[in-house]
Amino acid sequence: MNLQEYIASGIIESYVMGLASESERAEFEQLCTQYPELVAARRDFEERLEEYTSEHAVAPPPAVKVKVLAAIGDQQDPHPARSSNPPKIITMENSKSPVRSSAGLRFIAAASVILLVGMAWLYYQSNSQNKELSNTNDRLKEKLNSTDSILNQIVEEQKIVKDPNTTVVNMVGTQVAPHSSANIYWDSTSTSVFLVVKNMPKLPTDQQYQLWALIADKEGKAQPKDLGVFDATDEKVILKMKNTQKAQAFAITIEKKGGSHSPTLQKMQSLGKTLQSQ
Amino acid sequence: MGIPITYTEQELVLALKERNDQAFGFLYDNYAGALYSIIKQIITDNAELASDVLQEVFINIWRKIETYDQTKGRLFTWMLNIARNASIDTLRSKSYQNSQKNQELPDNVYKGVANQSVQLNVDNIGLKKVLEKLRPEHRVLVELAYFKGFTHEEIAEMMAIPLGTVKTRIRNALLQLREYLQ
Repeated sequence: MNLQEYIASGIIESYVMGLASESERAEFEQLCTQYPELVAARRDFEERLEEYTSEHAVAPPPAVKVKVLAAIGDQQDPHPARSSNPPKIITMENSKSPVRSSAGLRFIAAASVILLVGMAWLYYQSNSQNKELSNTNDRLKEKLNSTDSILNQIVEEQKIVKDPNTTVVNMVGTQVAPHSSANIYWDSTSTSVFLVVKNMPKLPTDQQYQLWALIADKEGKAQPKDLGVFDATDEKVILKMKNTQKAQAFAITIEKKGGSHSPTLQKMQSLGKTLQSQ
Repeated sequence: MGIPITYTEQELVLALKERNDQAFGFLYDNYAGALYSIIKQIITDNAELASDVLQEVFINIWRKIETYDQTKGRLFTWMLNIARNASIDTLRSKSYQNSQKNQELPDNVYKGVANQSVQLNVDNIGLKKVLEKLRPEHRVLVELAYFKGFTHEEIAEMMAIPLGTVKTRIRNALLQLREYLQ
């Protein structure tokens, strides 16, 4: 090949200024290894270009040098003999990943604490609510039971009162106790006796009222039959007493607690005669 | 005040490859101005951006010094091409293109001609000053190829001239340029 023609084609300038194509570059570099004159011509142009460009230099802002030196100072490898790149990458990753992961861990830790506190609060909340509800439930049950029993008694009373077979005996006060009064509901078919206290004075704790049925014997003499004891506090509630088939009259006396075998007639409080007495 | 150190190119390259930051300081002090000049001839309208590119270029020189091959050219040639490529990459980046659109819209209507003459004055530094001496049809091709980074094929298409003609004209223009650099 004609080297002078090749040099005169402008390939050197094109190569040095970065305008040669890939294949032109490869060819030029190959020829440079064979022809020192070509290298010399290239160097000549490079030096001219460098000289001219340096003569027309524009001073950059001083801050750029500071930034550049700071940037390469950060990347400075303390062991220049070794390859500088791998430790740099490791350093960057090491300095980055713990920050990221510890930040992540911190976030997760904070989130878990908040979650735990939240759950504990919810648990406490629902637990105390549960307790309160169950207490309320118990109270309502009790109330329902007592109301039920009162209602049952009222229903029972009504039944007895309305029953056509029931005889009502109005018991009035005696001279000893003129204000004492009570009603006896006596079912003659079932022989059941119910007592409703209307007005009976409160007694000392060692005494009780006792109901008697007075039944005539063959000689016409009234024999008392015990129908049970009761307290004045049972006022207005119907009391089931002992059954009796016969009774010419009912009498209430004051006896010692638990009742007596025979009535203390001096203390008879109230007396009511039945139709059987006629 | 330290004793000023000077290096031959050979010494400088060796010191740089050994990560000697004193040598790097010398490199910066001696070549930053020349490289900044070529950057400013490509990024003509934004000094801040040009200095950012200069910073990037020197950091890249430091990082890539291992890949510099002395048999393929002088250190300065290698650095000059790094600076030119970085400037053209910036010129073609989307963010730069967008900033250009935003700047140009209001101005163009009234100042089209005035702007051009101002730009010409700003451009007349370094190699571009030499370009003025070239014939216009040569000048525009060097301008497009060297300072705008278009390939010969792109220029052929843009100017509607055969690729061979583009190549020949650019080569001739560069040969003339060489004479003017004397």
